[in-house]
Amino acid sequence: MALTLTCPVCGKRNGYEFRYGGEDKGPRPAEEGLTPRAWCDYVHMNTCTVGIQKEWWCHRDGCGAWFTTFRDTTKNLEVKPPEAENGQA
Amino acid sequence: MDRLKQLPTLRINTDEPLTLKYRRKTYRGAAGDTVATALYAGGVRIFGRSLKYHRPRGLYSLDGECSNTCMAVDGIPNVRTENTLLKDGMVVDAQNVKGSANFDWLGFIDKLDWMMPAGFYYKTMHKPAAVWPVAMKQIRKAAGLGVISPDDEMKGRYDEQYLTAEVTVIGGGPAGMAAALAAAESGHRVVLLESRPHLGGCFDYRVTTNGQGTHLYERARELAEQVKQTANIRRFEHAAMVGAYNNNLITAFQVGKAGDGFTERYIEIRSASVVVATGCIERPLLFEHNERPGVMQVGCAHRLARTYGILPGKEAVFSVGHDLGLEAAVDLSDLGVKIACVADIREDGQRPDLLEALAERDIPVLGGWVATHAHGGKTVKKATLSTVEGTVRRQFPCDLLVASAGLTPVSGPFILAQAGMGYDRRTGYFLPTGLPEKMFPAGRITGINDPDAIEASGRLAGLEAAAAAGADVTQAAAAARQAVAALPGPERGCKLVTAPVKGRKSFICFDEDATVKSVKQAIDAGFDVPELVKRYAAVGLGPGQSGIPGHNLPLFVAKYTASTGTPKPTTVRPPLVPTYIATYAGYNHHMFKRTPLHDSQKADGGIFRNIGVWQRARYFSEDFDCKEEILNVRNNVGMLDGSTLGKFRIHGPDALKALQRVYVSDMSKVTEGRIKYSAMCNDDGCVIDDGVVTKLGENDYCFTTSTGRAGQASEWIRYHTRFDNWDFHIVNLTDSMGVINLSGPNARKVLAKAVNIDVSNEAFPFSGYREFFIRETIPVRAMRLGFVGELSYELHVPASYMQTVWDMLKEAGAEFGIRNFGVETQNVLRMEKCHIILGQESEQRTNLLDVGLGFLWDRTKSDAKTVGAVALRQAENDPGRLTLVGIRMADDTRAARDGAIIVDTKVRGYVATMRKSFTTGEAVGMALVESQLAGIDTRLQIFEDECNGELLDARVVPMPFYDPEGERMKL
Amino acid sequence: MAEFKRQSPVRFTASPIETEERDHWTVALEYENEGHGPWIGDLAHKARWDLQDGGLEDITPCDLIIPEIPGQCTFSGDMLINRMNRTQASIYHLGSEAPPIPDFQGYTDVSESSVFLALFGPNIFSVAEKLTRLDFMEPGNTAPFLLQGPFCHVPCQIVVLDSGVDGGFLLTCSRGYGDSMVHAILEAGAEIGLRPAGEKRFGSWIAALNRE
Repeated sequence: MALTLTCPVCGKRNGYEFRYGGEDKGPRPAEEGLTPRAWCDYVHMNTCTVGIQKEWWCHRDGCGAWFTTFRDTTKNLEVKPPEAENGQA
Repeated sequence: MDRLKQLPTLRINTDEPLTLKYRRKTYRGAAGDTVATALYAGGVRIFGRSLKYHRPRGLYSLDGECSNTCMAVDGIPNVRTENTLLKDGMVVDAQNVKGSANFDWLGFIDKLDWMMPAGFYYKTMHKPAAVWPVAMKQIRKAAGLGVISPDDEMKGRYDEQYLTAEVTVIGGGPAGMAAALAAAESGHRVVLLESRPHLGGCFDYRVTTNGQGTHLYERARELAEQVKQTANIRRFEHAAMVGAYNNNLITAFQVGKAGDGFTERYIEIRSASVVVATGCIERPLLFEHNERPGVMQVGCAHRLARTYGILPGKEAVFSVGHDLGLEAAVDLSDLGVKIACVADIREDGQRPDLLEALAERDIPVLGGWVATHAHGGKTVKKATLSTVEGTVRRQFPCDLLVASAGLTPVSGPFILAQAGMGYDRRTGYFLPTGLPEKMFPAGRITGINDPDAIEASGRLAGLEAAAAAGADVTQAAAAARQAVAALPGPERGCKLVTAPVKGRKSFICFDEDATVKSVKQAIDAGFDVPELVKRYAAVGLGPGQSGIPGHNLPLFVAKYTASTGTPKPTTVRPPLVPTYIATYAGYNHHMFKRTPLHDSQKADGGIFRNIGVWQRARYFSEDFDCKEEILNVRNNVGMLDGSTLGKFRIHGPDALKALQRVYVSDMSKVTEGRIKYSAMCNDDGCVIDDGVVTKLGENDYCFTTSTGRAGQASEWIRYHTRFDNWDFHIVNLTDSMGVINLSGPNARKVLAKAVNIDVSNEAFPFSGYREFFIRETIPVRAMRLGFVGELSYELHVPASYMQTVWDMLKEAGAEFGIRNFGVETQNVLRMEKCHIILGQESEQRTNLLDVGLGFLWDRTKSDAKTVGAVALRQAENDPGRLTLVGIRMADDTRAARDGAIIVDTKVRGYVATMRKSFTTGEAVGMALVESQLAGIDTRLQIFEDECNGELLDARVVPMPFYDPEGERMKL
Repeated sequence: MAEFKRQSPVRFTASPIETEERDHWTVALEYENEGHGPWIGDLAHKARWDLQDGGLEDITPCDLIIPEIPGQCTFSGDMLINRMNRTQASIYHLGSEAPPIPDFQGYTDVSESSVFLALFGPNIFSVAEKLTRLDFMEPGNTAPFLLQGPFCHVPCQIVVLDSGVDGGFLLTCSRGYGDSMVHAILEAGAEIGLRPAGEKRFGSWIAALNRE
């Protein structure tokens, strides 16, 4: 309940307003040559970063927007995007 | 007893007398008294018996730092009487006693302490093993103080408040008030929490003066008045902070006073920054029988007199280690307590004016002396003092022994905010080594004791907090910093750990009856760090958490283990203060959704159940098999309220693309005037929802979803198109239309009476979709579907007109004997047709093909990247998958229960839905079994819960069980 | 023959002392014992539209401009336009009659899908404080503004029309929650005397806001 997240439409809100949408794994891979294992990895395997990870959240109790943000998993705090992502976020 | 009146520090009003009943005697108190002070004023000294040894216990801290004075009040157990304001007519009982607190039949246990060393219950009472269940029963009766019945209900109103503030100040003493005032100057929203019923803190009851010559109690009231007059400070008195979480989320609860609309209120504050000005409690002095009634801390004795007008005793001995003790001795002597002597652990370093004052009053001060024994069977009668080295002893008769080793900061908020704690050599305090972000300490918690320094540090912290919340206060903060630097800083604290005693009866934790001796036993057994000792010897595990033992335990462990490293105090967890579960529960409104027909369905005898966030009528009679309801639909006509069905409009240039992404069928085949049934799958190919889609116009569709998925349908579609940047729009119309399901062979006859359009089979065939108006006013969307397997019309009607249309149809159907049918009846009817319900006949391991819906899947539209298509393609030829089959019991008299498992040498599947069918007379249903058992006529064995090994026989049969040609729905 | 009657998702136990029939609605103009406030008003009979389009900047509902930034509102006469996100706005009609819905695909009449309440009058925000963690007094916001978030744990649209101590806000949420929502609000407001108010009082409040 202490987690806060910044919705791009509504601003900073209590974490309970949101639904977690998983780590960002990018768009789904092309089906050409896709093995069942690779597909299963895309759907189910997580990196489980100890540190800052990029993830999807949905503002379920608010505007309904899906967005990505960065969270430090060791402190459970939303953080600013790391330098490399600036200009790409 | 006579109270001291006319003291300017009093917080009681003797003009408002209140009474309480204890042991059939009436005690008189005054408005402002706590239950404990009223009892003490009436002569009560023993308030209860301790947990393990049944030792007599009484007032010690006056702030409820331990469970000594927990009593049952008006039937509520474990009420902290030192913190509970007296209300007229309260009925109080002692806890944990057989007999009375004064004479407890179990008091003899105290003499058996040698039988109960640290951790004895880990080593005894389980050899032989048969002993344990007996022992466990007895221990459970003895463990805990108060008694409660599971049927007891808390009376009162418990609600909550959610606040946002820029600065939250925890603690309403001088530092807290100064901080709040300073932070408020910037215009920020400030919240001030004070756990006592009044502001004032460590100034509130003291006559000593500050640097300006103002009595501290006057200064406290001045500051409080300023706080009250400041509009942007919201103050909460009698509100204890209980938790601190990430991002400065602070939780607290406030006790309501007379006239408040609540008994207790949970308060949650999201604050940009926080000032912690929680001050100090006292570090208990460890000596033999240090918890005997009559032994109390400095603040307790002093406040009994000054705040409550009660002389704590007649003849006192003091054993202290800091100036507050000397100050209290001077003041209490002036108020009428005869003080035999003041033993000060310190040899030197006392404030000269205090020594002078004591000398003036002929009170001898013994420097370098400390109490070693409190004597007296039930209350203190005599005290033994000795030199700190233990070389010389003296005894003094007394009924009051004021004992304290020094101060200890209330650092709970910092520990909760996960600050590392380290030992400070000067003050002897455990202080935060790294401050959490935007959290600022102020006042005595930092080690200062000079009144002006306390206020100045509060002002500085308030300004720093305001700055951290965005205010521009650089100049003011710089001035405040200078002011603090010019005043006295943290003072040397007393470092004595224990008096020179063996410690067999020196209690380090009062709640758990843990002694110095038991701590030594724990350390000798190898549990040599505070966190381990805490658990093995039960030090600090009681409701007081670390209030009494928190500071002494790590100091003692370090000394006893001759550790060279710095000791670490044990952690504390929320709630920092015992809190009622009712306070956390609050109103706990059941927020649920009703259909527009809720009340009339109830009036018709509907029996409701929760389905997701909805309440729906499941049955319409006490017959939960629903025989009559079912046969009525099969042979006549019935009506169901299907309003919870998800309904959506999707429009926009890319609406079709979005539909193609989430539905497995080719949605480009959807045309106006016809409905198309399809399903949605997840990335594993498992079907997660089904519904019908129809086209309203160019780039304009509407679709339905199941009740349970309506809330997430938009979210789902948006998630699976999040990388595409398509232009489409979804409107959730679930609640905007009520749905009437009119089903049965007579359905057409009823509908024809109520509407003007041609409802013949030619004009409105199966799978048709029609829009029309009832009496030119009420718009209706009608679909012909076959979920229950009879002639059915699904009418979508604006919610506000729903009752009107329902009543119309009811009237039209009266001549046919039309009746309601509920969710359970619908469940059985569709089961007889083998129409699946998602989540009932499907689950995580079953994909679209497994449940027989493969015909919906269009493989050619791979450009659409339909969710689930990849998994379906990859899994298509997998052997051994769960498959949906129809089953029939060998014995038709009883169906197996839903969820019963199908077994041979292993679990091979389970029964999804099964009923004794009134329509066909057979016990039939659907099950999921491994594909090798899916052949028609395969014999199956069913294991029901608690069947005691008796399996039921069944076999696989063709689906559906009723009207296999599907003629009834196409009538 | 069944009478045509439109029903609101909200029922108050208080009885109206004056009503008006409007398009098969029985609109309560005034309730018994309305008291000194604060008040809760049922606006179920008032029209609400959803407007979604990829190019909202080119659309002017009833000649009004849709605000640019989500959270901002246009409040003019009896009409309120709330910008929800990049492609969506909600439109509330606060008067006794609404204009016909424009014939453009982007509009959906959503009057039936939600509960529509007005909460206004002295200290109403102290009631809101008990029912939501949303910060109605966030320093950056100037009324009228839109908040989308949970109230009584139910997702709502909340439009604060006046954040002064005697101000108030409008609230919409999924229709099915009508009874639960009103029950929770009335319970929380009991300690300061929250009572139902009719259209007359609501209309005066809106008129006063328009004058400012």
